[in-house]
Amino acid sequence: MSAAEQTIEKLISQEYKQGFVTDLESDTLPPGLNEEVIRIISAKKDEPEWMLQWRLEAYRHWLTMTEPRWAYVDYPPIAYDAISYYSAPKAKEGPKKLNEVDPKLLETYNKLGIPLYEQERLAGVAVDAVFDSVSVATTFKDKLAEAGVIFCSMSEAIRHHPELVRQYLGSVVPAGDNFFAALNSAVFSDGSFVYIPKGVRCPMELSTYFRINAAKTGQFERTLIIAEERSYVSYLEGCTAPMRDENQLHAAVVELVALEGAQIKYSTVQNWYPGDEDGRGGIYNFVTKRGDCRGAHSKISWTQVETGSAITWKYPSCLLRGDHSIGEFYSVALTNHRQQADTGTKMIHIGKNTKSTIISKGISAGRANNSYRGLVKVLKSAENARNHTQCDSLLIGDRCGAHTFPYIEVKQASARIEHEATTSKIGEDQLFFCRQRGLSAEDAVSMIVNGFCKEVFKELPMEFAVEAQALLGISLEGSVG
Amino acid sequence: MSAAQYLELYQSLTEVLPGQNMPWLSEIRQQAREKFAGGGFPTPREEEWKYTNVTALEKKLFKTSAEPGEEAVGPWLDDFYLADAWTVVLMDGFFSPGLSRLDGLPGNVIACGMTDALKHHPGRVKTLLGSALGLEAHGFIAFNTAFFSDGAFVEIPTGVSLSRPLQILHVSTRPEGLANTRSLVGLAANAGVRLVETYAGAQQAYLTAAVTEIKLAENAGLDHYKWQVESDQAHHFGGIYVSQERSSRFNQHNFCLGGLLARTEIHTELADGAECDMNGLFLGLGRQHVDNHTRIHHREPNGISRETYRGILADRARGVFQGRIVVHPNAQKTNAEMNSHNLLLSDDAEIDAKPQLEILADDVKCSHGLAVGQLDEESVFFLQSRGVGHETARNMLTFAFAQAMVEKIGLESLRFLVQERLLNRFPQSGIRRDWL
Repeated sequence: MSAAEQTIEKLISQEYKQGFVTDLESDTLPPGLNEEVIRIISAKKDEPEWMLQWRLEAYRHWLTMTEPRWAYVDYPPIAYDAISYYSAPKAKEGPKKLNEVDPKLLETYNKLGIPLYEQERLAGVAVDAVFDSVSVATTFKDKLAEAGVIFCSMSEAIRHHPELVRQYLGSVVPAGDNFFAALNSAVFSDGSFVYIPKGVRCPMELSTYFRINAAKTGQFERTLIIAEERSYVSYLEGCTAPMRDENQLHAAVVELVALEGAQIKYSTVQNWYPGDEDGRGGIYNFVTKRGDCRGAHSKISWTQVETGSAITWKYPSCLLRGDHSIGEFYSVALTNHRQQADTGTKMIHIGKNTKSTIISKGISAGRANNSYRGLVKVLKSAENARNHTQCDSLLIGDRCGAHTFPYIEVKQASARIEHEATTSKIGEDQLFFCRQRGLSAEDAVSMIVNGFCKEVFKELPMEFAVEAQALLGISLEGSVG
Repeated sequence: MSAAQYLELYQSLTEVLPGQNMPWLSEIRQQAREKFAGGGFPTPREEEWKYTNVTALEKKLFKTSAEPGEEAVGPWLDDFYLADAWTVVLMDGFFSPGLSRLDGLPGNVIACGMTDALKHHPGRVKTLLGSALGLEAHGFIAFNTAFFSDGAFVEIPTGVSLSRPLQILHVSTRPEGLANTRSLVGLAANAGVRLVETYAGAQQAYLTAAVTEIKLAENAGLDHYKWQVESDQAHHFGGIYVSQERSSRFNQHNFCLGGLLARTEIHTELADGAECDMNGLFLGLGRQHVDNHTRIHHREPNGISRETYRGILADRARGVFQGRIVVHPNAQKTNAEMNSHNLLLSDDAEIDAKPQLEILADDVKCSHGLAVGQLDEESVFFLQSRGVGHETARNMLTFAFAQAMVEKIGLESLRFLVQERLLNRFPQSGIRRDWL
């Protein structure tokens, strides 16, 4: 059943569905950050010396940086010393089969609706489930191995494929790229690593569910996806987090590398705890995501549905270096109550005949603020570059805000750049039309909102699209009627 | 020149700046001086100055003089007078009664120099000065407030609609000169006027720093034209700050054709039911840097704003368009529209644009559109197939793109002048003028 058929009334009564805390003994470091902490993290993960040095360098650089304050978001200063930088579920022997996994953990996943047990039977999706910071179960390894695809946790990759990690880690998002990326580089706990060999079309959609669990633990994920020449991969990322009162910091880094003719499709549904109606609690989501179209004819496509988090600071970007490379960004960002989102993309055209498309839909309700911030940059070398940008905002309620901050920089006379943006509320006439045909006000709003987002939803893989529509309805609770 | 050097330069001039004997004005100047001393000129680190770097100013030494000069001006100045207008001439930063043409101005209308206005109408100046400038003012405005040497003062009383246009002609004649003027324009309720601000100068390097504050009372209507044709070596900063009361209309046309580095700011604040139109055309040739910065604040409900800007960048020129529309929380039923079209004619030219919407009310209709492109090769081919040379065909199409903005000028005398200037910017264009 899609959200369009559900009534908002029903959704209003819903609590944040994923809100619960699993009681699980955690192996957690005391709060605070210094070189010693980084050495411990590195040692706990049996990392080689170069990895530790890389982290330390990032940390030293981070110390010289200041937190960015230019985004249209407002939050109290973060006490970085009050955060614990490492938390792992109590390690016994590494589970080899699903039934060796801590049953409590499995229960958590089941509550979340991730049918881990059924994964093996559910053809098509392999889950590398990340519980807090350490990967606990990975499925479908065999099938992927057959195709030559490497899909594992970052720590595993550092141990088993150090040459690949060393070659690519930090090559798209350098360790000192920005404040949050530097922090992540210093303390990242785990993440996913994907390597698709030459000419391989990944036999299934890869998916990771992230969970933030232990209280007061920031989560610092690091994802690296490498698509070799003429390969293809579709990667799904979905997030939920337990309900709690204290703000949690999440600073992830995602790096994508697409070599000649490769295609990467990266889809995200982000549904972290957004805080309560008065803005208490909620996740601070400061993410750096960047894809590098290194080879000619490569393509990177970002699709995101952002409904959660108290604060979102996220700009999935594409470096279009290869000639004829393509970058895409499809986004739905929904903010309700006191959520704040400042999200958008950067498209840097470097190669000839590069193309980019940006479709951004922002929905703002309650007392929320929703900003699109994007950069389209065409360098002199990018002959015949082409960009089309469409940013639409929908306002629900008279106390919310919707903002658009596009930056367009063109240094190439053969470039063609278009940018359009609109802001409006749901038209009374549209509502009236629907009511006239027997739809309730709630159904009508739900239908109009879903229609508003259709352009983005159609880019999502099927299962995600259904989930996204439902999420949209849940997130809008209490905003219409 | 750095801020400190300017402060030093003006140290000796403080006594001769107008209004020094007025405590309220000296206080304002003192505050501005402190702000300028602390921050200096804006730097690209400031978000609103991201694309315009004025540090080039520090390499030159622009000097102002202590008193107005009445040097002989070349016949070139005649080209800038509007034939049918009353004209207030500000020469090198000072009101020039000799060059101004104010005969026949109705007795109840004030149009004079700022120094005179401070003498004869100090109360009126006090009400207008700073009335349209926000707190977020940057270094250039502080610099202007602290050190303006003169300016124009215009006041149109209630219900008066001037039959002829009014022109403020800013002229620079001194090499390496600095003209720092503050002009005030006040329209009382139901008043109306067509105001043209012209910036011109001799072919040499100089700096213009001009700030115009405009206050439109209820239901007043102002057609404002900024015609910037500074010398190709000039640095120009021109800010126009408007405060619009209920149901007032501000219809602005901005033509930026001159200057080596030119920055124009046009900011307006709209009260209930006020309306604002902003039309702009900027043309960058050679190594020109043209920055247009507009901001429209819808503070109250029922406001309407429409903005259309066109930019043409050739050679190694760099153009900047920054447009910002802010709809404040209770400004329901706002209708705001912004469009920017830009033509890039050379691979060495650059355009940077930042069209922004900040919306804090829900019952609004706001949109912006921006396009960067080049001449349509098929149109060029069409003209060529009719026997028009390639270069001429390109010039014709470029001119036509610009002409769309020129045609919006309601003032015929000005339209003609702008059109001529524009055509002259395309030397050897081969464009026939008889059909224009």
